[in-house]
Amino acid sequence: MPAIIACFKWVIDEAYIRRTPSGELDLRSVDFKISDYDRNAIEEAVRLRDEHGGTVVAVTVGTSDGTRGLKDALSRGADRAVFIRDASFDNLEPSQTSAILADVIGSRITYDLILCGEGSSDLYTRQVGPRLAERLGIPCISCVQKLTIEGDRITAERKVEWGIEVLETSLPALVTVTPDINSPRIPGVRDTLMAAKKEVTTLGKEDLSQACEPVLRTVGMAAAGMERRCIKFGADEPGIAGLVRALVKEGFLR
Amino acid sequence: MAGIQIFAENREQTLELLRVGRDIASTMGTKVSVYVCKARDGADEYIACGADAVLVMPPLSDDEPLDAYVPVMADEAKQADPDVILVAATLRGKEMAARLAARLNTGMCSDCMALDFEEGEGILKMERLAYGGAALQRVTCTTRPVVVTIMPRTFEPAESRERRRGEIRELPAPPPSPVKVVGRKKKETAARDIREAKVVVCAGRGIDKKEDLALIRDLAEALGGEVGCTRPVSEEQHWLPEDLCIGLSGVSVKPGLYIGLGVSGQVQHVTGIRDAKVICAVNKDENAPIFNVANYGIVGDLYDVVPQLIEEVKKAALNQPLAE
Repeated sequence: MPAIIACFKWVIDEAYIRRTPSGELDLRSVDFKISDYDRNAIEEAVRLRDEHGGTVVAVTVGTSDGTRGLKDALSRGADRAVFIRDASFDNLEPSQTSAILADVIGSRITYDLILCGEGSSDLYTRQVGPRLAERLGIPCISCVQKLTIEGDRITAERKVEWGIEVLETSLPALVTVTPDINSPRIPGVRDTLMAAKKEVTTLGKEDLSQACEPVLRTVGMAAAGMERRCIKFGADEPGIAGLVRALVKEGFLR
Repeated sequence: MAGIQIFAENREQTLELLRVGRDIASTMGTKVSVYVCKARDGADEYIACGADAVLVMPPLSDDEPLDAYVPVMADEAKQADPDVILVAATLRGKEMAARLAARLNTGMCSDCMALDFEEGEGILKMERLAYGGAALQRVTCTTRPVVVTIMPRTFEPAESRERRRGEIRELPAPPPSPVKVVGRKKKETAARDIREAKVVVCAGRGIDKKEDLALIRDLAEALGGEVGCTRPVSEEQHWLPEDLCIGLSGVSVKPGLYIGLGVSGQVQHVTGIRDAKVICAVNKDENAPIFNVANYGIVGDLYDVVPQLIEEVKKAALNQPLAE
């Protein structure tokens, strides 16, 4: 029965990001969420557990803001959660996140399979999964859209530009998943109530064996200006004809 | 030791990274090496296009995945101690780059869109998108080498120059990979490549059923353009192949004219059309974010608007003088 870890990140929901008139990023009214593809990772872990037995541990690194994310992950079916929390774990870069995860997973959590989302919704660097596998010295298969376990081996269908590569490896291993792999559940009231009873282990910086300094520094974060001044036309005949005239004037339809 | 190292999956991508690598190398005053994995294929061309060295990795057996090369590249990078490693951001390239960065204990800039070596400060400044394309993140790396992945078709390919010389060197075979390839399935590719289309008509979530795509096709045809779609149409409904999915996780298009029909304008999609010259949108919801990034818009039901739009486009086309 496989011991499965699903890693997730609690991120700003990019749909709430606004731009100030002066072109700055406006994060004042943002909400947070479990990063999109990490929901697929949790779902896949739960699906595999339901099929083969075993356990699912959801693991995240971040500041105390992530507390809500733990409950969300547990209501999605994980059996327990590990929260590696510190006020300084804000804006970690991928080498730090993977080092912290490796530190904790390598020393405290038994596992056969680790699942991660292919990339996070906020920074989408797609580094943490592969880096974590390297740190732990286990095989890595990324961009997986179909996964099966048989005994101590896994078969994974990985997306490549020309199609699909079917890969096999033995456990323990790390797999990153794409959103095609499943449709994450929407937790119901009962799931949320059950989640409140599940075990959460909270660890801090003092529980890590070494400090993780950033090597990639963010020296600027600005709103990407894509706004255009939209000229609106009516949905009636004169409006539509007006739009087409504008397109002709722009040099199309020639 | 110093230098720039390049790894890509094919010739086109390699030439593109050679352009980038050559530019930085000339400011840094250093050399460019290219990893190749198909015997000596293309080595002479790469040298002509700016490589100072071609590092030939022995071919892999059929059941070895491409990332089997990671240990060989890591060993070579440890020896050569390059300043920068450029990797084409293909699906496999991204994983290989991240694993290489982990092995070299260094930082990595994923999906870099622009990079500039500041001679005075001696720092490589890199730009990338964050928050689904809503933000531009600028990063620098405090360790070396800095690993940089670049999405294919971000830069122009390098051109060959006369009489360049370079070294061709064989690298050792990689150790057996713990991951084995047991099958390959080629996908059917879309008949047309929308990345170079002059006009793109995009189907969004506002399309109710697959048959209604005919309406989108008719408009595309009237405009002499191609059909694209948003993520829900290809990935959730599977009404169109994923090669036509426009956005951060799909393809980027740069047409003269883009028309979004029933497209809400989520930031991930909008990022894929940022280089369109003119953006046009038809959507029922007047608050749809697509209108913030559009040049022209119609608030209305696409099922009412599009048939009329097709008529008007046909009329306008008839009124155009023939052969200008």
